[in-house]
Amino acid sequence: MNPVMSSLLFIAAKFLSIVVGGVFAGVLGSLTGLGGATVLVPLLTLFYGVPIIYATGASLISTIATSAGSASAYTKQKITNIKVGVGLEIATTTGAIVGSLTAVEVYDHKLQWIIYVIFGLVLLMSLIPTVQRGKYEVPQDRKADWSSKLFQLAGSYHDARLKKQVNYVGVRWWLAELIMFFAGVISGLLGIGSGALKVLGMDWAMNLPMKVTTTTSNFMIGITAATGSSIYWYEGYIQLFLAAAAAIGVLLGSFIGAKILVRITNKDIRWIFFGILSFLGVEMLLKGLITDRILIISSALEVAISLIAAVAMIGGLYVKNQRGENIAS
Amino acid sequence: MPRDVNIDRIASYTLRSGVLLSVSLIILGIILIFVKGEASGYNISQISDFHNMTINSKIISLSFSGIGAGLAHLDGFYFITVGLWVLIFTPISVVVLSIVTFVAEENRLYLIMAIIVLFNLFFAMLVIPRLM
Repeated sequence: MNPVMSSLLFIAAKFLSIVVGGVFAGVLGSLTGLGGATVLVPLLTLFYGVPIIYATGASLISTIATSAGSASAYTKQKITNIKVGVGLEIATTTGAIVGSLTAVEVYDHKLQWIIYVIFGLVLLMSLIPTVQRGKYEVPQDRKADWSSKLFQLAGSYHDARLKKQVNYVGVRWWLAELIMFFAGVISGLLGIGSGALKVLGMDWAMNLPMKVTTTTSNFMIGITAATGSSIYWYEGYIQLFLAAAAAIGVLLGSFIGAKILVRITNKDIRWIFFGILSFLGVEMLLKGLITDRILIISSALEVAISLIAAVAMIGGLYVKNQRGENIAS
Repeated sequence: MPRDVNIDRIASYTLRSGVLLSVSLIILGIILIFVKGEASGYNISQISDFHNMTINSKIISLSFSGIGAGLAHLDGFYFITVGLWVLIFTPISVVVLSIVTFVAEENRLYLIMAIIVLFNLFFAMLVIPRLM
């Protein structure tokens, strides 16, 4: 084989390997509900050796693709509350601007390690509410407050599984707005959708049903990421070859993930995925600390620490969750 | 009496076609890069090198004439670029659609909020790049 041909094949293989990584991230992201980008950034930086600037750029783009792809299915079913979404996007888009401008400052000062550390922490902390959520499909009623009426937060949707029309009233709009600002900052800073924070804002603060929360959050993620992406674009954080491969892969992966999700009957399988994610979270955290020589350890020890920490964290959450279920039943 | 307009179906259709169009353009761009072995004067080894911190979105000319010329020359970078920008505009188009609904429903509060969201988006796209 001539050298030109073999180098072309090598590059094609490189492209496909990124697509495969994206598929993996997309599947895992949709099975855990954290989104493909949250898996993609650690994957690209830790295993593909991609600079974190390009990894976050590619992942922000992938976030838009998956959000738009799955939102097209949800809005049709009329579960997404577009009013709640648009209202809260004021905060997420403002946050995304602040977050991506902060990222620009951080990278201009070559402080990449900060992004690794914050990424690790955000990933680990988003796992906790994600693991614990989903116990109640429909929240307990709360008294409507002034914001419920002013911002027209009442809505309803047809729940196919419960086989009934669910009516709900959102509360504490201002609190959700505050949380969404932080969700936007994280999204712009780390190049992820920060769906976990968005869900927290609507689920915990506004007391909306889980289905409304997840689908509306998904709808908002696309617009938040679009805001950050344009700043990333002008700063040159989008490596076109990488972003193309990642977007295709993650989009494909999230469709596969959504299909698998419906078939999973054994809820315990999800714990394996949570375990992988917490491993990636600890790895990112350590990598950030090692890059800046705050922590000097061998890579074998780094992996060992990550494994132990991941198992301990997920084990603890599993036990806590099981105990909670026993009390409930 | 405000009319109740249903945009859910249109929004869903817009999102789906946006993603499809975007992905097709991106794939086309990648095929062009492999077939021609280059894009925008860079060879494919440079294009696929993730450690090169100069060949990225910064070198793309986003003017209409720049994009037009890039597409006319079958430059793979410009197909990917248009694909990525179609993707970025896809969720934005749903906000625009929601404005139509809010106007029809005479919902002034939400009309203002949707406009603020659009303002933020265009601030990030048009104003911030010029300030930096």
